[in-house]
Amino acid sequence: MKEKKYFHAIKLVSENCTGCTKCVRVCPTQALRIRNGKVQLDDDKCIDCGKCVVACKFDAIHTCADSLEIIDKFKYKLAIISTSYAGQFRESVGYMTAKKALLTVGFDEVAEESMITETMSKIVREYIKKTDIRPIISSNCPAVVRLIQVRFPSLLQNVFHVEAPMSVLSVYYRKKICEEHNLQENEVGIFLIVPCVSQVTAVHQPQGTYKNLEDGAISVQDVYNHIIPNINKIVESDLQCDTYPKGLSWAISGAEAEEVNDGTLKTLAVSGIENVNDVLIKIENQRLEKFDYVVMNSCTNGCVGGVLNIENPFVATSRIRRLLRSAEHKNFHDEYFLKMYEQGKFDVLPLKPRSIMKLDEDIKTALVKMKKLKEIMDELPGLDCSACGNPTCQSLAEDIVNGEATINDCVVLLRKSIKE
Amino acid sequence: MAEYWYFKDGFEAKAREFLANAPEPDLNLEFTVGKRDFVNAGKASAEIKLSLKRIGVEGAILRTVAISSYEAEINCTAHADGADILCNIYSNLVHVIFHDFGPGMKDIEQSMVPGFSTADDMVREMGFGAGLGLPNIKKNSDVMHIISGEGERTYLEILTYF
Repeated sequence: MKEKKYFHAIKLVSENCTGCTKCVRVCPTQALRIRNGKVQLDDDKCIDCGKCVVACKFDAIHTCADSLEIIDKFKYKLAIISTSYAGQFRESVGYMTAKKALLTVGFDEVAEESMITETMSKIVREYIKKTDIRPIISSNCPAVVRLIQVRFPSLLQNVFHVEAPMSVLSVYYRKKICEEHNLQENEVGIFLIVPCVSQVTAVHQPQGTYKNLEDGAISVQDVYNHIIPNINKIVESDLQCDTYPKGLSWAISGAEAEEVNDGTLKTLAVSGIENVNDVLIKIENQRLEKFDYVVMNSCTNGCVGGVLNIENPFVATSRIRRLLRSAEHKNFHDEYFLKMYEQGKFDVLPLKPRSIMKLDEDIKTALVKMKKLKEIMDELPGLDCSACGNPTCQSLAEDIVNGEATINDCVVLLRKSIKE
Repeated sequence: MAEYWYFKDGFEAKAREFLANAPEPDLNLEFTVGKRDFVNAGKASAEIKLSLKRIGVEGAILRTVAISSYEAEINCTAHADGADILCNIYSNLVHVIFHDFGPGMKDIEQSMVPGFSTADDMVREMGFGAGLGLPNIKKNSDVMHIISGEGERTYLEILTYF
């Protein structure tokens, strides 16, 4: 029985699709197929990593972040920027200008993830020391959390079960703004400025949270395009805002692991979805139990690699590392948030598995399917050419046993039979 | 040739009956692992785990099979001259057989003692050879059976019930 349709922050534009299979081949969960020459998405398998968006050269896969215009519906608008944002602007523009520029495109106030990441690091450390489960896996990257749900459900217990930094800030600011400006909760609009597709999905369909905490997710690219024409004026303006460079470490997977590590922990940082998949297999086989904390990001280098950013991930990393080097500790209401944590205000519901691995609910039927699958595999050429519209021969074989394709879909076999 | 049996509590009767009857498996997988082939070592156990995942075997059981078969596979690569691996899957259990190409074990009981190892420097350098392989297999199986002798092929079978 299927629950309500799973929301994804990507949209397929059939008329642009040429059926080239590029996206099909990069999808880490094999959620895409070409059928009748057009791309199709299996909602149950997609983890919103955004790999297909980058792979498509024909503009057939769009991302659906919210547009900047939607903020006008609210009386008071708050932007919460992701840590990767600071790496998008050249050094002559600077981090403070990039941040205050948001005040010129309609926001009344700007907060940022990095305000609270230092506090979150303390919470992570405390959490690790309180549990025997090893390793604890960072829940920072929504695509990784979703990958674990669909492919590694037995590892859900390893995932750090506390609300994400941006969500924690949303709760704090909604209350604060309502009190200070005498507004109703629904008059305050809270928007995340996000670097990737999975964060858009996380805002619209959070996993484990008690309710939707934000009113929208706007891409870094969208905001950038609005800001950049006026950037020189903003540099000169006397608008002021605080910056929290030390907390920017969470934009880079390696830097987050270092930040959390107080010298007593064994941490590991992994980025890029293929590496994440490999390491999850190792964790599942209990080969990495010596590690206390594993930071995993679906994108290269961490959030700086998100597809909704502007800058190349390595360039952005270099800029953020520079900011980190000169940064001093600046705690943003540290005591307050730590107290909230102790009171259980950041608790989240246990994550639910969404396994896509089972061939059938009934083990006997699954075994029959497995046997048939093996026989089909012996028949298929094993070239993984994707001409059938599936990513691999194995995946075509699976679709065949599930009645979603036939052996005649294999172009190589068809050609052979015509020759004969 | 010497023989070693281990049965987890409550498994002996049904396991002996199963092994005596040797029923036709619902699915069987076959692999060969090479001597000192550390690049490919672990692939057979990964494949076994994946197959069990595909038929819907629960996480905790999946992990014990993954660990026991990985340890055994590494043994075949590191300590033996390679092996044939046969994995028979049924709707209620998995039966994995490792039949290596020698050189056999001098003393099985001693090899079952945690920390005992015959590994040479090269194997230790690879991060193996801590003497925990066989004890770990025992810990992660319902039934474990070894037949071996010096200069003989070692036969190791593991049963795990779902």
